[in-house]
Amino acid sequence: MKDVLFSQQIDFILMKDIVPVCDINNIWFWLSIIEFIVIAYFSYKLLRKKKNIMFLDLTNDNLKESRNADIDMNSIMDSINQSRDLYVKLCSLCHPDRFVNTSKEKIAEEIFQEISRNKRNFKELSLLKTRATIELDVEM
Amino acid sequence: MWYKIIQIAEWFGEMADRIKLIRDFNAAARYSFIGGFADTLLEAKITRGDSSYRHAFSKFMGGGFRIKTLSGTHMARFELIEVGQVILSNEMLIRKLISLGWDTLEVQDEFGAIGCKWALKDHAHIRGILPG
Repeated sequence: MKDVLFSQQIDFILMKDIVPVCDINNIWFWLSIIEFIVIAYFSYKLLRKKKNIMFLDLTNDNLKESRNADIDMNSIMDSINQSRDLYVKLCSLCHPDRFVNTSKEKIAEEIFQEISRNKRNFKELSLLKTRATIELDVEM
Repeated sequence: MWYKIIQIAEWFGEMADRIKLIRDFNAAARYSFIGGFADTLLEAKITRGDSSYRHAFSKFMGGGFRIKTLSGTHMARFELIEVGQVILSNEMLIRKLISLGWDTLEVQDEFGAIGCKWALKDHAHIRGILPG
């Protein structure tokens, strides 16, 4: 008796309650597909971005030295405010063309190269100024 | 568990280093302005930065290092570029900025009308010096 009732119940479920899983006319079906496409697009973009990102192979330990480096901010401020004027002044005074056919021509060339290399470093330019005064006999 | 605690401590240490760097820069700028060496007062602050300049160490919503002129003589565009170039020419500072999570250097005038920005990763030369 019990078995018969159970089998009848199953038949009843199979006949009435099963609805089709994928209904093309249903709006929620299309919404879920659009959502899936959007998620896939953003995931792809994120993965691609991660591949292109720089310094990904470096660890925090690699940068510890740079992180603990002491930076002289006063020197940077001096470079911002005064290096340009000093550079222009040194360039005009120590230009190798002013020392053509003299014994100081080579020294002037060397100093001029150093000046060009340290164009925006006030500290180095100050040292070069002292060197130029001594070695090239120029008056600042 | 311990690893996580160390990570959190490192994060706080990094934030303290960032704030210290900004404070040092602002103090040096203030002293040079008061001392009469500088015509314009500069101020550094943390901004969002440019997302296209990001690298592996970039901080979320805090990747920009902005230098702004506050008062004094108005700075022309070439002067703003010059300020940026001085910062970029200091490799040590650039490496420190990168390691502390900055990715963009911005220099702006007082009204925010003229400004320039650079990607720090283009000026770092990190692989040449660090092992790995």
